[in-house]
Amino acid sequence: MSELKEPTRNGQDGLNDAFETIGRSFKNLRKRTVLMLIAAFALLVTLWTSWFTVQPEETGVVQRFGKVIYSAEPGLHFKIPCGIDTVRLVPTARVLKEEFGFRTLSSVPGQKTQYQPGDEHTDESLMLTGDLNVIDVQWIIQYRIEDPVRYLFKVRDTPKTIRDTAEAVMRRAVGNRLGSDVLTTGRVAVSSEAKEEIQQILTSYEIGVHLVTVELQDVTPPDTVKPAFNEVNESRQDKEQTINMAQEQANREIPKARGVATQSISEAEGYALERVNRARGEAARFESILTEYLEAPQVTRRRLYLEAMTGMLAGINGLYIVDEDQQAMVPWLSMKSNTQPAVGGNRLP
Amino acid sequence: MKRYLKLSLIVIAGVLAVGLYSSLYTLEEGIQAVVVQFGRPVGETVTEAGLHLKLPFVQHVLRFEKRLLFWDGDPNQIPTKGREFIWVDTTARWRISDAKKFLENVASEEGAQSRLNDILDSVVRDQVSSSELVELVRSATWVIPDEDLLRNVPKEQEEELKREIARGREEITRTILAEAQKIIPQYGIELVDVRIKRLDYVESVREKVYERMISERKRIAAQFRSEGEGLSAEILGTMEKELSNIRSTAYREVQKIHGEADADATQIYGYAYNRDPEFYAFLRTLESYEESANPNSVMLLTTKSDFYQYLKSATPPTLEPSILTKDASVPILSTTP
Repeated sequence: MSELKEPTRNGQDGLNDAFETIGRSFKNLRKRTVLMLIAAFALLVTLWTSWFTVQPEETGVVQRFGKVIYSAEPGLHFKIPCGIDTVRLVPTARVLKEEFGFRTLSSVPGQKTQYQPGDEHTDESLMLTGDLNVIDVQWIIQYRIEDPVRYLFKVRDTPKTIRDTAEAVMRRAVGNRLGSDVLTTGRVAVSSEAKEEIQQILTSYEIGVHLVTVELQDVTPPDTVKPAFNEVNESRQDKEQTINMAQEQANREIPKARGVATQSISEAEGYALERVNRARGEAARFESILTEYLEAPQVTRRRLYLEAMTGMLAGINGLYIVDEDQQAMVPWLSMKSNTQPAVGGNRLP
Repeated sequence: MKRYLKLSLIVIAGVLAVGLYSSLYTLEEGIQAVVVQFGRPVGETVTEAGLHLKLPFVQHVLRFEKRLLFWDGDPNQIPTKGREFIWVDTTARWRISDAKKFLENVASEEGAQSRLNDILDSVVRDQVSSSELVELVRSATWVIPDEDLLRNVPKEQEEELKREIARGREEITRTILAEAQKIIPQYGIELVDVRIKRLDYVESVREKVYERMISERKRIAAQFRSEGEGLSAEILGTMEKELSNIRSTAYREVQKIHGEADADATQIYGYAYNRDPEFYAFLRTLESYEESANPNSVMLLTTKSDFYQYLKSATPPTLEPSILTKDASVPILSTTP
């Protein structure tokens, strides 16, 4: 920098000289700086690539010239820089999930989980059951990467392989059962059977994955058939209702009939009591009269007769007293009889 | 002179560096390599990952996957033995088992994919066409459903559900694998397994199946309703029976009580009146005269009757019990209608 400030003394030559000096030293300076910068950059890159951190849920797989040399636990680690050692981070502690027949759009804590609307994933969930019906089974699998080295280097497209296997196994398990079974009681059996079989196949692929769970979600008949299924449920309710109504009628009528029966029996008993009592009373009355009658039969007899006749004659419409010797009274009687006004058909009880 | 020396040194160093770089290669884990010299593979297939040496410039390295790869078949419409058309979607796992053979025969993964398409599609087609649909859907472990579950199934389907599954899906896939494995090793490929991923009715058949499912459900629904009505009728019938029983028992009881009471009364009357039947007859007749007096009736009596015997004369008649003789006085009661 001092050269730049040096004053010009010798005219043209001096000026040229000075320029040359400035140019040379400037060139030297630039070269050194560039070299320094490159060196610094290289050092920085070297330092920067000589360490790595592994997050708590991860495992780091360290490769030297492509060959796996060790797996790193969570924490800070050093490695040979400049691409000689490389690290792949695999989330081994996390439980990974695959969904079949539906997709979760978002699941924010404290909010309702949102699912993708529509039925574009039904090709994954529609399957044939053992009775050759179609059923819509949505399910999930959860798995954990148990062996990151195997997970990375034994199978390519690992998630695709897991999905394919899960689908094939689930369809086989559902196909080996009746549709009604899968819809109701067979759910648990299907998922546990599928889990066992999927794990077995994945283990044979040496994929390094451990299945946590296989869970059936919505298991339903296809949409077109759903109303018919609902109708069965309705008919089951109808059946109960019809039975209940009949039972209700029976419950209403039988106790009532029992009551009416008891009533008529009681009434009959009342009748019996009355009948016998009346008989007793009338018998007693007759016996009393008879006792008195036997004291004076002739007189009593006539008295009773006359009393009765008096009473009767007071109550009738007309009386004809005919001489013993009178003949041909009938035409006369009938004429009189015809003139009688008709007064109801009052019959005696 | 010095300047040339310096230059040649730089050139030699450069050549050495390039040569060294060219004679070293790294191999990733999960990858295998074939070293090729003028287009011809030399030495063994390198399968160990890490840093390796080769001749510079004349040899170069071709890398192949060592990992398990997938083959995803294009879904095919295939008729089964029973002439039902179904979509069959198969998937397979394979790996390059002999990289040199693989290089010679199919060269690349795309080539392998198309060979696998040819072989697997045809084997799958053969096997599916020679199997019944139920064999494809069910497994050899098919358990014949118990009576409880079969009750909801139509009779004609019951037979089919009771069928023993001779092969089943696993056996069919095993056969597919075995058949394909006969051909595939010549390509340096190892077929690990083949699976039927999806099996589905073609669209038109699916509609028919839905219709069948609907009619099946409707049948069950009708059965439930009919069962309900049947049970209801049964309950009502039992109720009617019970009601008749209750009513008739009551009637019987009532009649019995009445009869007994009447008998008792008859006995009581009989005993009492039998002491003087003639007097009873007299008394009772008189009572009934009074009781049967009709305000519309007209009575005709002769003077010979006891009641009017004093109408014509006051002399006492011979006191005979003429009252009781029939011709003495018969009251004629005529009732006008």
